[in-house]
Amino acid sequence: MKRLLSVLALVLGLALAQGVVLRALMEDVPETRIIEALLPEFERATGIRVEFEVVQYSAMHDKLVAQLTAPESAYDFLQVDFLWAGEFPAAGWLEPLEPFVKASGFDLSAYFPSMLDLVGYYRGTLYMIPMYNYAMGLIYRKDLLERKDLKEGFQAQFRRPLALPKSLQEYVDLSLFMAKRAGVAGAAMQGQRGDPNFMEFSNYLFAAGGDYVDRNWRVTLNSPQGERALALYVRNIREGAQKGALNANLDDTFRVMCQGGAFSMITYWWMLPQLDNPKQCSKVAGKVALAPMPGGAGVNGGWGWAIPKNGRNKEAAWRFISWVESKEIVKRRALQGHAPTRKDVFQDPEVLKKYPYYKEVERILAGAKKVPIFAYTAEMEDVVGREVSLAASGRKPVKQALQDAAKGLEGLLKKAGLLR
Amino acid sequence: MRGRQAAQLLALPGLLVLLGVVAFPLLYAFFLSLTRYSFLRPQYAWAGLARYREALEDPYFLHALGLTALYVALTVGLTLALGLLLAVLLHQGLPLRGFHYFAVSLPMLIAPVGVGLIWKMILHPELGILAYLFGGVDFFGDPRYALLSLALVDVWQQTSFAALVLLAGLRSLPKEPLEAARVDGATPWQAFWYVTFPLLRPVLLALLVLQTLAEVRTYDLVYVLTRGGPGSATDLVSYYIYRKAFLGLDLSGAGAMGYLLLLLTLALVALYYRFLTRG
Repeated sequence: MKRLLSVLALVLGLALAQGVVLRALMEDVPETRIIEALLPEFERATGIRVEFEVVQYSAMHDKLVAQLTAPESAYDFLQVDFLWAGEFPAAGWLEPLEPFVKASGFDLSAYFPSMLDLVGYYRGTLYMIPMYNYAMGLIYRKDLLERKDLKEGFQAQFRRPLALPKSLQEYVDLSLFMAKRAGVAGAAMQGQRGDPNFMEFSNYLFAAGGDYVDRNWRVTLNSPQGERALALYVRNIREGAQKGALNANLDDTFRVMCQGGAFSMITYWWMLPQLDNPKQCSKVAGKVALAPMPGGAGVNGGWGWAIPKNGRNKEAAWRFISWVESKEIVKRRALQGHAPTRKDVFQDPEVLKKYPYYKEVERILAGAKKVPIFAYTAEMEDVVGREVSLAASGRKPVKQALQDAAKGLEGLLKKAGLLR
Repeated sequence: MRGRQAAQLLALPGLLVLLGVVAFPLLYAFFLSLTRYSFLRPQYAWAGLARYREALEDPYFLHALGLTALYVALTVGLTLALGLLLAVLLHQGLPLRGFHYFAVSLPMLIAPVGVGLIWKMILHPELGILAYLFGGVDFFGDPRYALLSLALVDVWQQTSFAALVLLAGLRSLPKEPLEAARVDGATPWQAFWYVTFPLLRPVLLALLVLQTLAEVRTYDLVYVLTRGGPGSATDLVSYYIYRKAFLGLDLSGAGAMGYLLLLLTLALVALYYRFLTRG
């Protein structure tokens, strides 16, 4: 009897699952195509069809918000950028995932704590499963570190051998040295005001041991560490960076580095395979390498999977998420170039053999920190970016700029109700 | 009477559309500017004139207003001067007239974002031809040149419109006063200054108003070329208001700033009329 019931339940389950179609909005990047190619397998295994609506990043936020504020979402699961990972849960748009994790025995311990902190938990509740990471680190030219004349010159000037810098101060010293002696810019810097210079400066801030806020959202930006970070940033952009750095964005720095015009750049780690590709950057392919931000901590970035509160097929959506995030599927995604967030996939021999630099990415991820994620993250980038740019262009003293940035940030945190 | 009623009836749908897309947003923005409304807290909490006071106490908004005044003076002045020069040259009847007409109207046909992208490459500090010819001047990365560079890109595009309008103006002028002046022995310069120029005044006034309004609204070039930087060297007021609304999610604060800008612009246009229609 029991057996009959369970068979019945299985048949019923299959019949119900049949005909379920899950829809999701995805970013137009190669990683989405990698997952798309695996979808028929999921359908064969579960009978659930998954359809992606693929759009440019800039169109995603507005489309998502329109669906999330509607009575019923057209999307059954979501791809959430870390910049929205404060806004969506705070607005009450996401389904807490702990019940699903418990019921299905999904193993969260496989994830890097830094990733769960970024695109997993929001104020103690699990709303997302980390999907993809784009933490920032240092990309540098190995060949310049090994050039004989530079080695000798560096030794003579600094009384230590030419090597990878261990602190922010050492990094800026090295950058200025390269700018003077190697015939290239010491650093390709993205100093354009807004997201570019905010992200770049945040690496300097974390590397110097500073931070934007403490655990209780009290602003800590205006600290001696913050001041040292901004002073070093200003020094590097004025004396070590390529011409035009104050108006350069990610594309510009990539071009400079790709053309062999700079010794280093602080950027997203996925830039490495781009620069190391001889078809794309013949001048530097084979000569570039990746390392964590000097000083240890860089900026974390990533995407997470989530289920909307107003979704129709939450159970089926969780089945998809737990399938696409299972070790086997993550490994297959990773082998095609999809950045993983699971430790076990990073340590997989097959994956490491294909991407030896994942060892470095793992170190970057382990030390990565997040910038404050809250309702006004976008405006914070604008306010802090403005002050950093004012200091970098010599229009405001470092101390004053830092003070004004901290004041602006505090105002935003108050506006968001996180500070009294 | 029947004909007139029919005409009014036929115009009604168009008027309704205009009411919906012009009058309604204008009134709604005004209403919003009197409240505290944001995307995150979509509630109409009455604020009176507080948002206007906050705007006037915001040093970065005031900076953006001042910068925009400078920018408008620079671009409108240059556009009108260059446009007039080109129009007079074209009016003289150069050889290859068709080609010149085409060349002069070309910039007008490109969308501002396209203009921005083209000039971004031409002025690029490492790849740009002009940066190379000028010995590596950092046009947009140096706060001393950024606003001027932005203005020149803008003038490059706007001049073609100004030239065409002024050319049409020159074409439509009566010939008799000029002939009379010549008979009386005026030099070409005197004829231009004392006859053509005053006759062209209404066209110049219209152009002045149109150009001022267009330049106050400059947003696309800033977005493509500098994002308001370095520092706040190119943070023009329209771009500032846009960020207030869409990064700060503060629709009512942006509404108040928008209305302040509207008032200033209206005052400016009223001044133009007084000065240029005098006598």
